[in-house]
Amino acid sequence: MKHVIIGAGVAGITAAKTIKEIGKDAEVVVIGDELFLPYKRYLLTDFLCNSIKRDELIFFQIGELKELGIKLRKGEYVKAIDPSKKLIKLHHNEVVHYDKLLIATGGSPGLGLVLQPYKKHIHFYYSLYDNLVLKEKLPDIQKCIVFGDGVSCLDLICVLCNLGKQVTYITRGKRATFALYECDFEGELHEFLEEKGIEILTEDQIVLIDESDHGYKVETLKQKMLTTDIVYAWDYYQPNISCIEGTTIEKKMGILVNARLETSDEHIYAAGDCVEIYHPGIKDYWINFGSPNALEQGAIAGRNMLGQNEEYKIHEAIVFNLMGKSLKARWWK
Amino acid sequence: MKYSEITIRFCGIAGDGIVASGKILAGACANIGLHVMVNNIFSAEIRGLGKSSSTIRFSTSKRYSMGDGLDLLVGMVSKESIIDLRDVKKGGSVIYDISTIGDVAEEDSLISHITPEIQGHGLPIKKLANEATGTNQGKNLVAIGAICYFYSLPPDMFIDQIKSVFAHKGEHIIDVNIKSFRLGYEYFREYYPLNNQFEINEGLEPKALTSGNDAIARGAIDCGLKFFAGYPITPATKIMEIAAKELPKLDGWTLQMEDEIAAIGAVLGAWFAGRRAMTATAGPGLSLMSEMINMSVMAEIPAIIVNVQRGGPATGMPTKVEQGDLNIALYGGAGDSPRVVMAPTNTEECYSGIQLAFDIAEKYQTPVIFLSDLFLGQRIETVTIKENIDRNRCTRKKPTSEQLENFLRYQITDDGVSPHIVPGEPGAVYSITGLEHSVTGNPNYESDVHSMMTAKRFRKFQSMVPDLPHANVLGDETAEIGIASWGSTIGSILEGMEIVKKKGIKTKLIKSIMIHPQREDLFRRFFASCKKIIVPEMNYQGQYAALLKSRYGIKPIEVHIPAVEPVSPLKIAQKIVEANSELSK
Repeated sequence: MKHVIIGAGVAGITAAKTIKEIGKDAEVVVIGDELFLPYKRYLLTDFLCNSIKRDELIFFQIGELKELGIKLRKGEYVKAIDPSKKLIKLHHNEVVHYDKLLIATGGSPGLGLVLQPYKKHIHFYYSLYDNLVLKEKLPDIQKCIVFGDGVSCLDLICVLCNLGKQVTYITRGKRATFALYECDFEGELHEFLEEKGIEILTEDQIVLIDESDHGYKVETLKQKMLTTDIVYAWDYYQPNISCIEGTTIEKKMGILVNARLETSDEHIYAAGDCVEIYHPGIKDYWINFGSPNALEQGAIAGRNMLGQNEEYKIHEAIVFNLMGKSLKARWWK
Repeated sequence: MKYSEITIRFCGIAGDGIVASGKILAGACANIGLHVMVNNIFSAEIRGLGKSSSTIRFSTSKRYSMGDGLDLLVGMVSKESIIDLRDVKKGGSVIYDISTIGDVAEEDSLISHITPEIQGHGLPIKKLANEATGTNQGKNLVAIGAICYFYSLPPDMFIDQIKSVFAHKGEHIIDVNIKSFRLGYEYFREYYPLNNQFEINEGLEPKALTSGNDAIARGAIDCGLKFFAGYPITPATKIMEIAAKELPKLDGWTLQMEDEIAAIGAVLGAWFAGRRAMTATAGPGLSLMSEMINMSVMAEIPAIIVNVQRGGPATGMPTKVEQGDLNIALYGGAGDSPRVVMAPTNTEECYSGIQLAFDIAEKYQTPVIFLSDLFLGQRIETVTIKENIDRNRCTRKKPTSEQLENFLRYQITDDGVSPHIVPGEPGAVYSITGLEHSVTGNPNYESDVHSMMTAKRFRKFQSMVPDLPHANVLGDETAEIGIASWGSTIGSILEGMEIVKKKGIKTKLIKSIMIHPQREDLFRRFFASCKKIIVPEMNYQGQYAALLKSRYGIKPIEVHIPAVEPVSPLKIAQKIVEANSELSK
């Protein structure tokens, strides 16, 4: 039985490990689009601050992969899936057949129409690659602009601030809230950040970015003219599901799965940030963001791909550490 | 990552511009003063689209071999490149074409065989080449553009090289090739912006690139070669090609003969007529020449036979390297048939060594077999050729006017060398023959004459010792581990010694271009100072080790490598470590 897993993040690698631990004879191929060995995304900020070494980021070492007999293929994109022939096609037209397929492609930041034209001037703070780029540029950076929403945005602001950089945060909201619905100092987050020296521009957004002699000139909707060494911006965070285009696999924003993490195709499962699971509380599908959820979903998907029957229980929120304070956050409203 | 040395291999099939890729990359690196070595490997089959590869090693410091492993493999054609993945270092990279048309099966896909230790980088090679040139040509320049960005090399060094290489093809070809280069560069800059750094020292003088075959041909021409006769054979043909191009300009001749027997015959004829002459061949050709080399020994007519060794026996492996022809060079003749055998250890010695071979051949009236090999002959590297060779070190012994009155072509002398004069000159009337002969040259089968003439022919080999170059001892003279080897294997040994030096293991190497005869006093002194002696070489039998054992009575650790590729320095290092462990017991 050949199990192919698209995505070498926490969910994909956990599923691969689970399958090989239970079914030693199963053939497992993991295809990831990143250039690196599977790593712990939640430790990227620690790595940026040099609190941990690069080796400590690794989620799964080469030795473990070899020992378990998992074939990992890095830096490769799946451009199409053909469920009728049970095959996937990679970006260089290689065809890989599967018996069971797991889609664990995660999510990624994206830009809306206003920011798209300035894509080449904009950085994301999401992957190890983004992190390495920032790490390389850090010595030359004094002023930073951050525009966006969500926990990773808050994380970036905090790390830049801790590294002694001058940070300007731009938000469309009336206050800096980062879509957190519950935290230890609810309602005080905006002021907490300002006390740390972060400039916050509210009810505003970036509308123009231009290169200057020593960095970038940024114009906002409220016609504020700013200068900066680097611009971090994203409009949304979305599941990576382009590989299912052209298939009949059901989707909304993410791939729709039942509690067993099965998609609408009986041979295809999905797990992690790329899926939407039915939430009985809100009576709709939603995305359970974060590494702990991905870990749990990966393990369940792996077991179910081997024929077991296990259900995933919805978690309401993730727990996030903000400069020593504990935050609970829901990513997807 | 930061690099001061990189090894890159282009791999594909004929028509992919593989060799041109190596040439452009090597030329660009040499132009900015880097040390470069290139090893091209072709398919042995003349017909069809065989696999070919070009491996380029460039460094800020002098290197002696192709080293171990690849930092980057460029798989121009997926399936053909799969086997080369085994040579990619851990942490190394692969560039592969993502613009393949039509489905590719998993087992035929290069990238599907990559292990997690290696990093794959997709590049739409065909697509970008097509965009630049309107055809599939220019694929290699797309890859070179990507490499330029990947290692942060200055683009101008490549642009200049492209202009130079394609100058004869006109502006349009230069433009489309530069466009191909730029598209590859820009693609990598966009998709793989986190690149590596190759540390370049600014302001270095450009270096010249030369192959061993090229150096042999030019060395021979520079020391008076006037006649070349040969029959084409891989990997020696290049020598004849250069001779054919250059000799007519210098009032010389190149003849392609019907076979190798005719070629060596023509060479003997030219020497007999007083012209410096040479032939070049490979193992199968040397086999055919055996009888005429004996003629050279018996008639005491000089001859230069270059043998660029390849894998054998028989047709063997025409495009793979081996040092398997030492025995035939030393002993491949009927009767007691002494001959000089030389083996250059690097490209510089190909140039200077062939000149020494000519001088020895002429002075001592003997055949000289010059043993190069495929790796040394075909590899291209940055070298500094010293052209200040002493032109008067070996001169022909001419008869005095007294001797000419009753000229004895094979006059017995203390040094075994008879005065010699070219037929046609006044007084030069004598016969030569492959039969045993008296001092006049007339056939004679008397026992004492045969003994006397045989001793004379061998005596020359003692006489020539003062004219032989010294054997060099490299490394730490206080070391207890000594290494002796020959030919191109020496380069890998030098790097193997560097590897173990970092581990605190002392070694020394005795290196000589002379295989027979040798400066035996120096070798004996060297071996006496060693507690362990290692003799690595690229053949199954240990042919050089056998020679050293019988000549010096040593009991070395023999490392027999029936090679296909140049010897791995790591393998040499491993043997040294093992010898060191035994010493410590």
